[in-house]
Amino acid sequence: MNAIILLALRILIVIILYIFLGRAIWLLWKSIGSQQAAESREVIPPLRLSSTLLGDHSAKSFTLPEVIIGRDPSCDFVLPHELVSARHGRFSFHQNQWWYEDLKSTNGSYLEDLRIEEPIVVKDGDVLFCSEVDVSISIQEKS
Amino acid sequence: MNDTFAPSKPVRRFDALILAGIFVFLYAFALALAPAVRTHTRGFSLKLSYLLPFAGWLAGMLLLRQVVKKSLPGADPWLLPIMGMLTGWGLLTVWRLSAALGQKQLIWYLVGCLVIVLGISMRNLVATLKRYSTVWLVAGILLVTLTFFLGVHPSGGGPRLWLNLFGVYLQPSEPLKLLMIVYLSAFFADQIRPNITLMASILPTVVITALIAVLLVFQQDLGTAALFVCIYIFMLVLTTRRRRFLWIFPLVALAAGVAGYFLFDVVRVRVDTWLNPWLQPAGASYQLVQAQIAIAAGKVFGTGPGLGSPGFVPVAVSDFIFSAIAEESGLLGTSALLLLYLFLIVRGVHIALETKSTFGRYLAFGISIYFAIQTFFIVGGNLSLVPLTGITLPFLSYGGSSLLTSMISILLLLLLSAERSRQPLPAYSRRPYHYLATVLILLFIPLFTKNLIISVINQEELTSRPENLRWAVYDQYSPRGDIVTLSNTDLAITTGTPGQYERLVTYPPLSNVIGYTNGLYGQTGLERSLYPYLRGYGKPFSTYWQHELLYNQPPPGSDVRVNLNLNLQIAADELLGDQKGAIVLMNAQTGEIYALASHPSFNANTLAEEWESLMASPDAPLLNRTTQAAYPIGTLMNFFELSALWSEQSSMSAEPELPFRLDIECYRAMQAGASSLDTLHYGCESAASVLRSSLTDLQLIEMARAFGLFSAPTLALEVAPAAEDPIAAGTMEAWFAAPEKTTVSPLQMALAAATLTNEGKQPAPKLANSYQGENGNWVAFAQSTSQQKVLDSTAALRVRERLSAEKQAIWYQIGHATMADGEPLTWYIGGTTPEWTGTPLAIAIAIEGSQPALALQIGSALLNPAAQ
Repeated sequence: MNAIILLALRILIVIILYIFLGRAIWLLWKSIGSQQAAESREVIPPLRLSSTLLGDHSAKSFTLPEVIIGRDPSCDFVLPHELVSARHGRFSFHQNQWWYEDLKSTNGSYLEDLRIEEPIVVKDGDVLFCSEVDVSISIQEKS
Repeated sequence: MNDTFAPSKPVRRFDALILAGIFVFLYAFALALAPAVRTHTRGFSLKLSYLLPFAGWLAGMLLLRQVVKKSLPGADPWLLPIMGMLTGWGLLTVWRLSAALGQKQLIWYLVGCLVIVLGISMRNLVATLKRYSTVWLVAGILLVTLTFFLGVHPSGGGPRLWLNLFGVYLQPSEPLKLLMIVYLSAFFADQIRPNITLMASILPTVVITALIAVLLVFQQDLGTAALFVCIYIFMLVLTTRRRRFLWIFPLVALAAGVAGYFLFDVVRVRVDTWLNPWLQPAGASYQLVQAQIAIAAGKVFGTGPGLGSPGFVPVAVSDFIFSAIAEESGLLGTSALLLLYLFLIVRGVHIALETKSTFGRYLAFGISIYFAIQTFFIVGGNLSLVPLTGITLPFLSYGGSSLLTSMISILLLLLLSAERSRQPLPAYSRRPYHYLATVLILLFIPLFTKNLIISVINQEELTSRPENLRWAVYDQYSPRGDIVTLSNTDLAITTGTPGQYERLVTYPPLSNVIGYTNGLYGQTGLERSLYPYLRGYGKPFSTYWQHELLYNQPPPGSDVRVNLNLNLQIAADELLGDQKGAIVLMNAQTGEIYALASHPSFNANTLAEEWESLMASPDAPLLNRTTQAAYPIGTLMNFFELSALWSEQSSMSAEPELPFRLDIECYRAMQAGASSLDTLHYGCESAASVLRSSLTDLQLIEMARAFGLFSAPTLALEVAPAAEDPIAAGTMEAWFAAPEKTTVSPLQMALAAATLTNEGKQPAPKLANSYQGENGNWVAFAQSTSQQKVLDSTAALRVRERLSAEKQAIWYQIGHATMADGEPLTWYIGGTTPEWTGTPLAIAIAIEGSQPALALQIGSALLNPAAQ
């Protein structure tokens, strides 16, 4: 009798284990599916940056999801100006929009005379100021 | 983007935790029931002490669930259930292996739960960790350094990796793993883009990792050192996004392995045992071999919780807990276990992808790397896939430091996963995460494969190895069949109660024939050769299968009858007395063996107490001289020479004139035999040489071969290997020059005697008779009844007449030989003659010493009353 109960318990244990795993894997599967669907929707519209500091032909286009601007030569968009911090700010693309955030720069970033304290959405035609240096933003929307 | 795990659906979290609770409860219930099942207890009975770990586990999980629900509503809903499954499984397994260690583990688990609660209640724990990451790391390294001076090993010997804090042992290298991951995450997160050369940017971390690795190597904790380097390499690939660093991994592993092999004994032993575990199954690779057998013993379904014998693997609670689980939960259980780890790793990767800060991303991924690599190394070590590293299996292995570190990792993942929804996600390249996650998952494929190979494909081969001692456990719980005589007199029986069955030899002088069965010393004699029947393997497959499935035991064994006759056996033992030697008495017609006396003997019932002295004794009391002794045949060769002569020329006149020349031994034999003065009969050397001169070497060899001198008889006992056939070996001349040196066992001589008694036809020896079938009937063993024709009956008659005794219906031949150590040996073979109306008997006696009188006395005493 005891042995039969134990056998039943053992079978139950295996069933519970695999129900747990089955649920986990099923949800994971679903999550991967939705993630892939979301990623496939994510087409990054090129971000075009230019600055008067660099002259008229300084415009650069980016399709990376992350663009760092600053004085340091390792930045994606370099602004060689003493009031610009080494890593001044960051553009990033997510939720179908381009965002800008200030990377705790010494002299701050401004949009329409407002200091940027937390990530904001930028749009085509915005002019951003890294301290005194202007950065013109143009975003070419793709259909 | 991904709302499947969105925090706003608490139903799912509840769901998974309940499943985890049911799982742990059922496992505890099964363990509590197992002792009653093993001992076949009739009524329902539970070992209630298993309620304690379950209750403790449940209390901890409920507390965590409440706190997480209240304070971290956005936390990943799968972390607690997975941790619950793993800690519960581990806690119960440790408890099942050792209740004392289980209690300690329970306390550590509860401490871990409190630490998680404390960590959740602390504001900004993650930020604090990040800010002071260097401080933490230095503190961790200092603790490890401290073990150089104050280190201890909890059980005394071994590497001193622990710190003793008021009786609590802490292994600083465990938390150091986590501290290093925190440090690396903070270091790389602050470095948004390497603005100097790559090498310069990672140099500090290289130095730190090398320092830790060297520290650990000097502490002989090589497994952990390797683990650190591996974690570091993965972190490097993640943060620098350079895949080529991953190629360092096998290179470093190989280089470190080769260097370690020549520098450290530990590494050499580990690598050697890994490459060739079967070279020293009882020595250096004992643990590994036993682990393989334990995993194989679990098969697909497992023996069931509490029904296996995982304790055969030394230190199963820590390094080899995987093999313990494999034995009791089988391939199904361990595959689920590995999937749980995989799922946990995937959750960590998922959290890493969703977390807002770079530090958090690196940290969460780093924790996944740590779980994956550590699991890979220790499970791979258990499965003999990689050399064994003495590291723990996260959440499962016994050990406070390890459990606490694993639980704190879960705390960090909980905090990181709760953080993610507060702010919009930052963008970053997911590619290295996906790439590395794939590598981590791929690491598990060889684990699954090897696990499958051991528990299914190699299962039969591994469990039938002599190193598998589970039969000794079976004998304790399921009674072995009795060994009885044809008149149902017990020779060996099982006594005691289930769980404490013991074997009792009721007639101890027969011990070296019946043999012993002992978990420590193994099995010999009939206990060994009849094991399958005694153990119940002869029962119908359904019975066998049912017992194995329900109890993980073979069914109660079948009783086995042997042909030994206890009266004759006692008579033989009394006659041989204190003399070293052997007597084989058999039915000359059927080959049934009636008595097998081998002196000195031992008492199988007191084997454990006397083992040392038995092994040390120069008299070899454990040897069964009747079948295993290889005595020189000496002048007993006369018998075969005479037979050869008469089988060539069937006329009495063929016997040459034998000179009356005595040597001392045959003189003594003749004195003892008294009535006739026959040099042949009493084994004089002169008779032998004259007889041989009328034979060719081929004639004698063929006669000896026909009598079976060059082939070991088949019997339910271990037999000595037969002497080499001189024709096959091409040594005919050398053999013919000194045929008396041929070694034979008393059993072979008894068969020769039986041949002569049985009109020249040799029967096959038969010791085991029958076993008791399912319905109580005795089922005879299938044995050969055919008889080998050796001599034609007239020749046999002539020889028998030539050797017959006066006034007795018996024939006999005395022989003497000089043993390898120079001591004399006396032979006697004989049998009944056709005048005898009872059972035709044959006998062979070998006495170590010059004892012809005794041999004659024993021979006629046993041949005469035997058939009464």
